[in-house]
Amino acid sequence: MNKWRGLFLAAVWIGIFLTGSAWAACEKVTIALGSEPTTLDPQIREDGGERAVNDNIYDTVLARTPEGDLIPHLAAQMPELVAPDTWQVTLRPGIFFHNGEPMDADAVVYSIHRVIDPDFNSEQISFFSTIKQARATGELTLHVITNGPDPILPSRLYWLKVVPPVHSKDPKFAEKPVGTGPYRFVAWQRGQHIDLERNEDYWGASPQIPSVRYRFIEESGTRLAGLMAGEFDLITNLLPEFTSHVPRSVNVLGLEHPIIILNADSGITQDLQVRKALNYAVNKMALANGLFEGYAQVAQGQLLSPSFFGYNDGVKAYPYDPDQAKKLIEEAGVKGQTIELIGTSGRWLKDRDMVEAVAGYWEQAGLKVDVRIFEFNEYLNRLFDRKTRADAIFVVSSNELLDADKSFSAYYKAGGVGASNTDQTLASLIDTARSETDEQKRENLYHQAVQRAYDQAYFVWLLNIEDIYGMSQRLEWPGRVDARLLIQEMTCR
Amino acid sequence: MGRFIYRRLVHGLIVILGVTVIVFVVTRMVGDPVQVMLPLESTPEQRAAFEQKLGLDRPIHIQFVEFMGNLVRLDFGESLWQKRPAMDIVFEKLPMTILLTAVGIGFACVMAIPLGIIAALRPGGWVDRVTVFGSLLGLSVPQFWLGLLFIVVFAVQFKILPTSGTGTPSHILLPALTMGLPTLARLVMLVRSSMIDELNRQYVKTSFAKGLPFLRVVGLHALRNAGLPIMTLVGWEVIRSLAGYSVVVETVFAWPGIGLTAIQAIEREDLILIQAIVFTAAVCVVLINIAMDFLYKLIDPRLKLT
Repeated sequence: MNKWRGLFLAAVWIGIFLTGSAWAACEKVTIALGSEPTTLDPQIREDGGERAVNDNIYDTVLARTPEGDLIPHLAAQMPELVAPDTWQVTLRPGIFFHNGEPMDADAVVYSIHRVIDPDFNSEQISFFSTIKQARATGELTLHVITNGPDPILPSRLYWLKVVPPVHSKDPKFAEKPVGTGPYRFVAWQRGQHIDLERNEDYWGASPQIPSVRYRFIEESGTRLAGLMAGEFDLITNLLPEFTSHVPRSVNVLGLEHPIIILNADSGITQDLQVRKALNYAVNKMALANGLFEGYAQVAQGQLLSPSFFGYNDGVKAYPYDPDQAKKLIEEAGVKGQTIELIGTSGRWLKDRDMVEAVAGYWEQAGLKVDVRIFEFNEYLNRLFDRKTRADAIFVVSSNELLDADKSFSAYYKAGGVGASNTDQTLASLIDTARSETDEQKRENLYHQAVQRAYDQAYFVWLLNIEDIYGMSQRLEWPGRVDARLLIQEMTCR
Repeated sequence: MGRFIYRRLVHGLIVILGVTVIVFVVTRMVGDPVQVMLPLESTPEQRAAFEQKLGLDRPIHIQFVEFMGNLVRLDFGESLWQKRPAMDIVFEKLPMTILLTAVGIGFACVMAIPLGIIAALRPGGWVDRVTVFGSLLGLSVPQFWLGLLFIVVFAVQFKILPTSGTGTPSHILLPALTMGLPTLARLVMLVRSSMIDELNRQYVKTSFAKGLPFLRVVGLHALRNAGLPIMTLVGWEVIRSLAGYSVVVETVFAWPGIGLTAIQAIEREDLILIQAIVFTAAVCVVLINIAMDFLYKLIDPRLKLT
């Protein structure tokens, strides 16, 4: 009897060993995303789930290094400005789509025209709205013509996924994507998973991981459980408080900036003293450590990450100085008055907690804070309301182009969708920068804009949040500042 | 009989139509899908152009006439969020929820009836106490917590079941159990109390006195008479689940069903998809109600279908 039991145990151990070693061979990695793509057409929607998958199937004209620097990708070199409104792009030769269509100037021109076509109604239009048209000038060269000078065009080309002209007209294109990228599409079981496999004919460096499966799990606790159970190799948006539970985690300074927009034109915040006091009053370091367990950096008095174009190294965050805040509030004669602070709940990580923490700090500085948390749609009505601006509105700005223009046009510039100032000097700095094609001059203009907004304290700049990924022991990946999940950069032991 | 069906169908149609109209008006009054769909930093011009393309800038009565015209053909249009016909999405997700409901509530019924009867045989006995205690526990535990607890125990600690997803029979066990347990708890209490009532009736005592077999008295006569409220509750549980209460279980286990889809559609202000889902749920509710009436008649032939 004992002998048999011994044999049985041995068999079990061998079984465990075999499955264990098969596992270690790392044929397939599984990635859990927060949401399922609704389409795999890379040009129609603005959707993180779709992007996570398609970033591996499609190539963009330009790419970024993990640190955020623009580099040529499908393009052989960086685009050249040949006229104030015309950029010349030269492509790499000998690249083909997974179905054999050639990737050439016609394909890029086609992709540009497809995404900017008003009838196509792409949700990504804000990334490409300055492009007027594109024209092939040779087999591998093309001109991109913009409405007036557009120095941000290279960043836009980093967003442009090139689609195959013939196959993309197929009605099934949205379910069967074909790109030039390092992975090719295998299958999509709606509601369950998407499978990709390594493109053995990839024009660039061959990726190490042979195949990838994407799973879609909205509930963060369930994603975490799947990682802990060994079902997943990588999960996105790991909550800061869970990092100690996972085998490994990677954190990278991300693209999201929570800020509070102050109304510079009317109400209690009209007074510069008050706006400065509101900045001094908030202990940003405590927010980063208390709410985000240290997975966030204090924003340095600007709506930009260090990796963004336009970041001003010389500007530092308003220090936490509650005494100074109290003093300024008293001097301005607004002690005990009420300030309205608008926020929403559940849209961004810890949004409500941040609003409530800030309200607490402001109360300590001697104000009464009327915190109003709205359902997201109603919140947006307040954020976009141009006629009656609230005293203070909490928002999280995200900038996927890594260029100051997008954030500044929306929040800094008078008349922008979320701006609460009518500062014409600031607006003209941003407008001039937008059409300044000299990189040095343009950067300088943004430095001035950052400085001006800082001096005027148009915002309370809170944090720059880090992206956190949970990973299995066998996966290696350093993360990227632009949050793209490029399987090609991952290795698996 | 024919008259009965006719009347119920007419009533059903009125209900479905009413619900659909209310949803149409409410979704268009409170929400603005364009605001939610485009990136925050989009300009007002870009929003306006987008809205026009979706046809949402037209007066509401014109949209309504068009909507009703399409409704006749069961065509709700393309989901704003998923860019494919809303009914396709519903028909893809609904079977998953029906499957989950069938297994979950099926499990609850299979467990609840014997347990409830055993408890009722000796009220106050230890089986009864344990059952009542267990039911109260099952009723008080929040479903999402129960689901996460199951995941942690069975999937993370023992690694015998998958944490989430679909595809194999083992995937359905935890979600169905999570869905079934609160139903089981409610059902056990009801079976128990109905059976206690029935078992105290004269006819039961007479049957026993006549020497009829125990199982026949309890399992056939008494249970059948106690059956109406039990069936009502089961029908209500099914309706509840199909009409969206499955969302908690579906979210925790990433089960791609209609409840999860409904919540996502609401978050994204996808008017078209919300409409299609609510319409389908209303149809389900009406059909289940009609089916329940027939079942009542089957159990209790004295009832008149009017």
